[in-house]
Amino acid sequence: MVRSAASPAPSLPVLKGTLDLLVLRALSWAPMHGFEIVSWLERAANGSLDLDDSALYQAVYRLEERGLLAAEWGVTENNRRARYYKLTTAGRTHLRAETRNWMQYASTVTAILTAGKDAVPAAGT
Amino acid sequence: MIRGDIRRAFRLALRRRDRWEQEVEDEIKLHLALRAEALAAAGASADHAYAEAVRRFGSLDESRTRLLDAARHRERHMQRTEWLADARQDLSFALRTLGRRKAWTSITILTLALGIGATTAVFSAVSSLLLHPLPYPNAGRIVLVDKQTTRANNTGIDVSISVGSKELLAWREQAHSFEALEPYATSTMSLETAGEPTEITAALVTPTFAAFAGQQPLVGRNFTPADLRAHDHAALLGESLWRTSYGADPAIVGKSLHLDDSIYTIIGVMPASLRIPSIVHREADVWLPIDLAGDTSNSGGYSVVGRLHTGVSAARATRELDALLERVQLPGMNSNMFHTRVQTPQALVPFRNSLILLMGAVGLVLLVACANVAHLILALSASRDREMAIRAALGAGRRRLIRQVVTESLALASLGVAAGVFLGWAGLKLIVALRPSALSELSAASLDGNALALAVVLGAASGIVFGLIGAFRNARRSPNDSLKSAATSASHSRRHEHARSLLVISEMAMSAMLLVGATLLVRSVIHLEHADLGFDPHGLYTLKVDLPHSRYADSTSVGVYERQLADRVRAIPGVRAASATDVIPGEWYFRIGGLQVQGDAPPPAGTTQLIHFSPVSPSYFKTMGIGLLEGRVFDDSSAASDQVLVNAGFARAHWPAGHAVGHRIRIVYNGNGAWMTITGVVANVATMGPMTQSSDPMLYGPMPPARPSALVRTQTKMLARMQAASGSVGLLRAAALSIDPRVRVTIDPVERLMAESISEPRFVMLLLTSFTVLALVLASVGLYGVMSYTVAQRTREIGIRIALGASGGRIARAVVGRAVALAFAGAAAGLIGAVWATKLIESSLNSVSRTDPASFAIGAMLLIGAAVAASVVPMRRAVSVDPVTAIRAD
Repeated sequence: MVRSAASPAPSLPVLKGTLDLLVLRALSWAPMHGFEIVSWLERAANGSLDLDDSALYQAVYRLEERGLLAAEWGVTENNRRARYYKLTTAGRTHLRAETRNWMQYASTVTAILTAGKDAVPAAGT
Repeated sequence: MIRGDIRRAFRLALRRRDRWEQEVEDEIKLHLALRAEALAAAGASADHAYAEAVRRFGSLDESRTRLLDAARHRERHMQRTEWLADARQDLSFALRTLGRRKAWTSITILTLALGIGATTAVFSAVSSLLLHPLPYPNAGRIVLVDKQTTRANNTGIDVSISVGSKELLAWREQAHSFEALEPYATSTMSLETAGEPTEITAALVTPTFAAFAGQQPLVGRNFTPADLRAHDHAALLGESLWRTSYGADPAIVGKSLHLDDSIYTIIGVMPASLRIPSIVHREADVWLPIDLAGDTSNSGGYSVVGRLHTGVSAARATRELDALLERVQLPGMNSNMFHTRVQTPQALVPFRNSLILLMGAVGLVLLVACANVAHLILALSASRDREMAIRAALGAGRRRLIRQVVTESLALASLGVAAGVFLGWAGLKLIVALRPSALSELSAASLDGNALALAVVLGAASGIVFGLIGAFRNARRSPNDSLKSAATSASHSRRHEHARSLLVISEMAMSAMLLVGATLLVRSVIHLEHADLGFDPHGLYTLKVDLPHSRYADSTSVGVYERQLADRVRAIPGVRAASATDVIPGEWYFRIGGLQVQGDAPPPAGTTQLIHFSPVSPSYFKTMGIGLLEGRVFDDSSAASDQVLVNAGFARAHWPAGHAVGHRIRIVYNGNGAWMTITGVVANVATMGPMTQSSDPMLYGPMPPARPSALVRTQTKMLARMQAASGSVGLLRAAALSIDPRVRVTIDPVERLMAESISEPRFVMLLLTSFTVLALVLASVGLYGVMSYTVAQRTREIGIRIALGASGGRIARAVVGRAVALAFAGAAAGLIGAVWATKLIESSLNSVSRTDPASFAIGAMLLIGAAVAASVVPMRRAVSVDPVTAIRAD
């Protein structure tokens, strides 16, 4: 099969549940308002995330409800009122644990997808 | 802490619905603006940039709804979390506050615990007896069926006339009101094992009984109709006997059982949960079958338990059974002589009315305890005026303050409930330990879920109510008032004092009611204990010997044993008199029929009533110490004897002028009855104990010559009068066993039997007295609290009075006088209440009128005495006020 090399980078649909992790990661640097989070994610993903902006706010509200984020009204550089989000202690712990899980998961899946037939030991019956 | 409060208060104001909706809108707007700016900066035209921003946001209407939803969800969740955090904060604050006031807290908790504990204990005891009488499926439709005489039973002792097998068969076959009618009976038998014969309880039931009770054999099989026909003595073991005596042997079926000299074959084991109504709190040791159809004589008196069909009333069932009784043709009977009685199982409960009375009494104790706690809360809230005012001034909202106070009360109530449940448990143990022998079922009482639920409900209710009392008391006042000195709020403190005085008066009133009731019962019990029984129970013993049917099957062998026993007992040193008898004190013999004096018209056909008729031997009167007032004791004890003695009560009623001797009387049953000639009149005696009316008609006839009964055993009874402190009681047993070592002997001192006969009033008296003492102590603590508060409030006034020359005696009189005035008010209300409330204990009173002035006076005096005692400490404090310090203060 021929690989199409059309667009500079293909848009990846965000896996369910992964968005939460990405938002937490974005906020691990500094408190941000909604648009800052979106911009950071786009930059970090090189513009390859296929995501409605509103989905991000839903994720943020959900995380706030779970106590992983805390919100506070603040003022932007251009003096506009914006809702700033920051990680709570619980959020930071959650981020660490979930990152570890994700890495392990990804490496396991990668290992399986790249393994040869004989590398998988036969299941004992 | 304060910072946290302020932040939260700020946030609460923000979090109204329109606010967070607006926030979501703002957030979306800002996002779209920033995105559009970013796109424009990258070179897009302004219009295109905004359209692109909206596109990237996702369909605007849809995502707005979704975001609002998510935000609403978030807000709700966060409010809940916040509420919990507040509650936690309130609770820890409450616990710290309570911890700071240790004395106050412990008194309040103790008071609450006493009230709740007493209530839970009595409730558990009573509910275990009253609420769950019979463990059968569809308990609401279970009834007990028996027969009653046509003339009302005025003896005060419930008599259940058992049902014959023919009547029962007719009922079982034809009655439509019942799903099931099950006869049952019990029998005490001796179980012959390797060693001594042991006494066991056998329950006799039909093959359908286990199914009726919703049970089935654990091992083996139930009885079948074939077991009845074969007469092969089939038996099932009770589970406990099987476990204890047979090591739960699974191969028990087919083994034999040696009962009362007969051999039975064990066909199975019944579960411990199978019970018959007459011994519902204990398991029968052995189960034997009843053969209704095989019993053609209509003998075999059975008790009956039944299950009504849904929707059938007891009255309708009674009518149907009565009608069926009329139709049963009993051999030789002219007409039906009895009524059917169908009653709910609660009728089985002994002391029913007394138990309900105790529930009422303990309710009063609870009220007193609650009044006391209300007191304590009022006192505390008065002393907290300043604290509350400061918090209000610092911006704590009214709701927040009320919440704080209610939380504190609930914390207090929870501790009270915990302590109360413990006290209730201990109290129940005490009640069970004190139980009279007639209430042996009480031993199964335990603190059940219902009782715990009751304790929790009581605690929660009191916590909320008391909390609100405190909260509203504070809320009514402006913080400004409280922050000023106490002097400016004189009117407030007066109102407060009024409330507390009213509480104390009501506590005193309730205590007075209990005091009068308890005094009446105490006096009644004292009367009972010293009542003249008409005979002297001291040194008198009853001796019961069970003669096994196998060796004493005919009248000769029984007669020989009885004569030998009489001789040997009389030969014992210390025995002054002994007499064979069929009736011993504590037992009651009666004949059923209508009583007719010769010359009077015969009683109407079908009349039945219970007539005391004691078969005794001539020496009975000497042994008992019953005086002969007229005539002589019968000298003819032959089967043909027509001699009878009557008691003075009967003789006076019919021959007020005397000369009863020589008249003839008879007991008419079924139109027949042999005439009996009165040979003598004896004194009235209360052989059933002091609670029975000794002047009720009582007849004595000669004992019929010994004959073996149709039942499995013969019981020989004997009375022996011993010299005081002769210590030869053991010799009585030895005498009985020396004739035949394999008989079962029971010896009881009559004094104990008589004491047991008043165990109910004594038990009720004991409990009511304990509750009264409890209530009185609580009320006194309440009074003490009010007096201390009054003295503290008036220190300045007292100081001025002392400075102006008032003597210590005058101050003391004023303080004590105030306490006594409160007690008087309470006593007046309580005594008026008691005039009505003593109706409830009227039936428990003997020889004491319920309006007995002495009891009312004693009750009032005890109350005043308690009031004086409670005011001693406040009085001392008042007298020792130092005028200089008092006037200078504040």
